[in-house]
Amino acid sequence: MKNKFFRKVEPYIWILPSIILMAVFILIPIIFVFRMSLSDVSKAGIIKGFSGLANFTKVLNSSAFKLVLKNTIVWTVSVVCLSTILGFILALILNNEFRGRKIARAIMVFPWATTLVIQASAWKFIIDTDYGTLNTLLLRLGIIEQSVNWTPTPEAYFMWEIACGIFVTIPFVTFCVLSGLQSIDSTYYEAATVDGANYWQKLFQITLPLVKSSLTVSTVLNIIYVFNSFPIIWTITKGDPANHTDTLVTYLYKLAFYNGKQGQAAAVSVIGFLILLVCSSVYMVYTLRKGDD
Amino acid sequence: MKKFVALFLALTLTCGLAACGGGNGSGDSGSTNDDSGSSAAEDSTDTTDEGGSDEQAAINVIAAQYGQNTTKWWADFVKDFTTEYPNIDLTVEVESWNDIYTVVNTRISNNDAPDILNIDVFANYQADDLLLPAEDFVSKETYDKMYPAFLEQSDVDGTIWAIPDLASARALYYNADILEAANVEVPTTWDELTEACKAIKEYDSKIYPWGIDMTTDEGQAAFAYYTWNNGGGFVDDDGNWALNSAENVEAIKYAVSLVNDGYTNSDPSNDTRYDLQDMFGAGQVAMMIGPNSIPTYIADGGYSINYEVAPIPTNGGNDSVSAGVMDRFMCFDNGYSDAELDAIKTFFDYFYEDERYSDWVLMEGFLPATSTGGEILAEADESMASWVDIVGSCKFYPTAKTEWDDVKQGVINVEQQALLGGDVQELLDELQAEIAE
Amino acid sequence: MAKKPLTLKNAVLRTLLYLVVIIVCVVTLYPYFAMVCTALKSRAEIFSMNGTILPIHALWSNFIDIWSRAPMANYMLNSLLIAGGSTVIAMLCGIPAAYALARMKFKGQTAFLGFVIVSQMFAPVVLLIGIYKVMSILTLTDSIIGLIFINAAFNQAFTIWLLRGTFMGISPEMEQAATIDGCNRIQGMTKVLLPVAAPGIVTTLIFIFINAWNEYTVALCLISTSEREPLTVGINVFNGYNMIEWQYLFAASLFAIVPVVILFMCIEKNLVSGLASGGVKG
Repeated sequence: MKNKFFRKVEPYIWILPSIILMAVFILIPIIFVFRMSLSDVSKAGIIKGFSGLANFTKVLNSSAFKLVLKNTIVWTVSVVCLSTILGFILALILNNEFRGRKIARAIMVFPWATTLVIQASAWKFIIDTDYGTLNTLLLRLGIIEQSVNWTPTPEAYFMWEIACGIFVTIPFVTFCVLSGLQSIDSTYYEAATVDGANYWQKLFQITLPLVKSSLTVSTVLNIIYVFNSFPIIWTITKGDPANHTDTLVTYLYKLAFYNGKQGQAAAVSVIGFLILLVCSSVYMVYTLRKGDD
Repeated sequence: MKKFVALFLALTLTCGLAACGGGNGSGDSGSTNDDSGSSAAEDSTDTTDEGGSDEQAAINVIAAQYGQNTTKWWADFVKDFTTEYPNIDLTVEVESWNDIYTVVNTRISNNDAPDILNIDVFANYQADDLLLPAEDFVSKETYDKMYPAFLEQSDVDGTIWAIPDLASARALYYNADILEAANVEVPTTWDELTEACKAIKEYDSKIYPWGIDMTTDEGQAAFAYYTWNNGGGFVDDDGNWALNSAENVEAIKYAVSLVNDGYTNSDPSNDTRYDLQDMFGAGQVAMMIGPNSIPTYIADGGYSINYEVAPIPTNGGNDSVSAGVMDRFMCFDNGYSDAELDAIKTFFDYFYEDERYSDWVLMEGFLPATSTGGEILAEADESMASWVDIVGSCKFYPTAKTEWDDVKQGVINVEQQALLGGDVQELLDELQAEIAE
Repeated sequence: MAKKPLTLKNAVLRTLLYLVVIIVCVVTLYPYFAMVCTALKSRAEIFSMNGTILPIHALWSNFIDIWSRAPMANYMLNSLLIAGGSTVIAMLCGIPAAYALARMKFKGQTAFLGFVIVSQMFAPVVLLIGIYKVMSILTLTDSIIGLIFINAAFNQAFTIWLLRGTFMGISPEMEQAATIDGCNRIQGMTKVLLPVAAPGIVTTLIFIFINAWNEYTVALCLISTSEREPLTVGINVFNGYNMIEWQYLFAASLFAIVPVVILFMCIEKNLVSGLASGGVKG
């Protein structure tokens, strides 16, 4: 009897530390954000009272919001898709045995091991028209004769930011996939080779299905991290000019700490949360139904 | 492998424990910080019991980081101050300008405001009744040292809520060698400026004749430079917002035309003042409007250019107006006991002692906000004397108005939209309507 | 050494492989090359109109100066404590949770997994005010322990999801065998499952460590005493109101990469050997 009860309770004991950790340090702050989004918040950041959905209507009616939302989607989709594809290919390459593989892998960690603010500053330095190192390099190598303005339009800036985002995200994907690849039993491949399967057949029939779990996890988390990514865009353009390179997070940061509209900033983050929630619910329903009884 | 994982876990665990130890150990000094908040609250309820001046008092200060020397300056200040007043426990937290608003707003939202804050704006805090009037937290003697014109910048409804800690003023800087080589005089009007730009461009197409900054960092300064020198500005004579005046529209159109004609740095929405100052130092930018600290900047950067200072060019026969920037000290109303209030007054008396104060101002090349400090500095350095004159007569941003944050971001947005081809009149009309709401 | 999992035998493909690897490495290293060059220049040289790729007068002193201009060693130590501590806490909480999710059936499993994902959906920037509130209740503001817990909490999602996947990919037979031999669940997990799951665990470790090492926003708001600042916040000293000292900022940041790369290289060696032992399991 006691044993049965224990078996029922046991799983909850195993997950309890994790739940407490997240509940205290993340859930409570989240609740606070919801409260802010429904409150009238003074410019100095003090809650003055309940304001219903006023913050939401103000945000949704502002002219910049649509542009910002579009940017966020472009940013998330392109960074996640491209970095996943490139990171996956790179993982396949690095999973081969070749001389210098260890060094190559260590080098791949660099972009990840660098604080984003610094990484983004370095990129800003590289692409600058006037003192950028890319122009200097190409000039000195004789490839170009005059400094090139790499960022003539807001769209060009955004492209560079996306490139930088991909650059720092690739290592994350690569190592997730690599860890998946490395736990694949080599006997699978031996059997397939005996059966006369070629490289691509092995790739699609053995490798892909087996790394799917680590790839889906990395992709879902990646979507969330990239969606909420702040330092790259903030460092390179601060969303300038006129919100053309803003994403939801940089936009709400400006609302909260430059314009003193913390209520609206909280509303923006709740909207972002709802978008993410819908996207990941679709994923959950799709892949996790078998998890529960 | 198992061994390795165990080793790593052990290693990180010791790190973790050491962290706990370190945290606890140093928690003693940190907790004084926390205690100050609660003891302040307690004291406010039972001040009647005791009120001797030898009572312990704790003050915490958040200060803005003006430059590389600021942190060290404050550390020395705290050391000296604590030696002289052992019964006052002073902590000073220095925050970079990038982050100070984030830190302060987070603290205020949690009812954990610092006692003293050194920052540029105050109106939002005042609007929430968070501040003490200046006369309550500064001794009469220290208060009287300050330039009245500066104190007025912190006036809301006849009460002064903050005191100036330093100021800077802006003027036109030009690379004398480039102007000479291009054979142009120093421009005093917009027409002359356009001509000068044209001549410099013809002389060397690689040089940017004019530096302009319309970034989120400081785009409001550009708005001020052009509108004030065209007879416009943020507010009208009665102090009401007048963002869409004809003068302002003309001014912004002119600034944008300089960019569109290729006379400026290539990317005004992203080139900050620092970028411009460095490019000016490198001889890439021929003329720019900048603060009085540029000489220090140029010297520290190891640049060797031949540059001069002149008044900002104007239009329509207006007198040249210099833009002044002033930062402040303010004191949050955390329910102080008499002893704590005395400690705060002592802090300010100590800070504004003439010698220490001129050291503070000189540290990063700023201008003094007290008349006594101004006298000392003017005597020591002639070039400083002219700046002290300029700062006495320049215009300031209307930071005492609570809409200032919105206006500031609004005009930057207008400038950037205009650079992308937007209609200046329409944009300013919209902004004015939004602000006046 | 385990047998090669997927081998490109063809010589042409082999050359192509090297070519791609070299290009990727060059592109990856270029920003660092630029950072090193910038860190060695004076400001006048950085912004010079006739810029050079390499510094004309390499100022190696920049790399030394930063140690005297800021308490770099102290910052480094704090960062190590924070990253190390966060890794331990995140693993201690995450491994049991992932184990329960992979090996047991219970009501609310999906809900828990969902909650884990939801916990990630707000950027820390947004949560700052709430985090500060929690921390002041726990009197953990301005403490390294507070930061350790925050970082551990924010890394739970990755830890749990990745480890759950890893554990599920490993057949439970061996643990069951161990249970018959008299091991309890905990022993079965630590002695049998964890060694086999080493690659996944190592990836998770690196991930948490790096994330905590690079965390900036929360540390900025929580830590007010300069002796307790981590490197990411501390190097703001070089980012003043009047000037940004790019050469120092980059020099300091380059130092910040070193511990992470060293850690990775140590782990990498064991990752491969862990692989070999993992291969034996069948």
